[in-house]
Amino acid sequence: MTPERFRIAVSTVLIVGVGISAALIGFGFAAALVIGWQGSLTGVAHATSASTADFSNLPARLVVLEPLAITQLGLLALLATPVARVATSVVAFTLEGDRLYAAITVAVLLILLTSILVLR
Amino acid sequence: MTPEADLGIFLVSAAAGFIGALAGVGGGILVIPVLTFGFGVDLRLAVGASIVSIIATSSGAAAAYVRDRMTDMRVGMFLELATTTGAVCGALLAVLIAPAFLYLLLGVILLGTAAMQVARMGEETPPTDAPSPLAARLRLESSYPDRRLGREVPYSAHRIPLGFALMWIAGVVSGLLGIGSGVLKVVAMDGAMRLPMKVSSATSNFMIGVTAAASAGIYLGRGDVDATIAAPVALGVLTGALVGARVLQRISNRTVRLVFLPVLVAVGLETIGRGLGYGL
Repeated sequence: MTPERFRIAVSTVLIVGVGISAALIGFGFAAALVIGWQGSLTGVAHATSASTADFSNLPARLVVLEPLAITQLGLLALLATPVARVATSVVAFTLEGDRLYAAITVAVLLILLTSILVLR
Repeated sequence: MTPEADLGIFLVSAAAGFIGALAGVGGGILVIPVLTFGFGVDLRLAVGASIVSIIATSSGAAAAYVRDRMTDMRVGMFLELATTTGAVCGALLAVLIAPAFLYLLLGVILLGTAAMQVARMGEETPPTDAPSPLAARLRLESSYPDRRLGREVPYSAHRIPLGFALMWIAGVVSGLLGIGSGVLKVVAMDGAMRLPMKVSSATSNFMIGVTAAASAGIYLGRGDVDATIAAPVALGVLTGALVGARVLQRISNRTVRLVFLPVLVAVGLETIGRGLGYGL
């Protein structure tokens, strides 16, 4: 992998991550202005979450197209973007044949995943 | 939130994203006080929104910086080793150390480096000495295209152990205090490692998202990320960061310093205020 393609790969992951999250957050936010945060775009009654900061039951709330759930999915996509960027760098450094930086990036990814999974 | 408040939060966040993209910081210094004092948002939720703001600034601006070779990805990945380890240590140390002492220490360090920034204000590009053996071995030497100067500017990283140590502290600080990790990163790369200011800012921007992501799970699990506040913040910050990332290329390193300096002083003063028990 050439340095040029490496940069484009990392840049593309960031653009896609930001694009998906902005689209979901924007759509959820606009829908919330019309039908409220805990309504349903499909019109189906559903079990709502305790508060707008509660991420529980996300799949069930997504199925009924709840504006809050769509927005929360977008926020999760945003928070996952840096992790996806580090994971892409691991692949890119490996394809580049750069063992030192592939190893460094794997270590960063492991520490990052550990901190996300352990520290809470 | 009323639609007027949503619009207000969006606009302030856009300003924070713009400044954050230029200065290499997350914009929490602007977002947190405005949300709490301006819009009466609970501090806990404002901090949760600022984590979203940091990641949005970082990802939004870095997409452009990486493509345009403003970000040094080797320097970034190497130093993320220090910041992520530091962040874990910070979270573990949080039960052992009195935060007041740390706030005071960090504040003094930041204001001290502000004086250094003033002294370096006129410097457009750092001196091009021969790279140290460590920089050569880690291949921490590169160049960036400076559109303002109309040429390729070569550079290499100096004082790598010092930079690495400062980055570890930046990680500890963000894990422990949740503040100032962006400014410390810029200071470590510009001040200690002598990277060009624009490269320092763009690489800090690249890194702060990873540092914030490391602690995002904690805030999410605690219920601190409220969609009704985080949504307008995220949309505003992304907009501002995308615009800011286009501007950075066209301005001089001196102008970047002029944007960074007040942010540095503000974070320094707020940090000392917290240490003394005032402010947020």
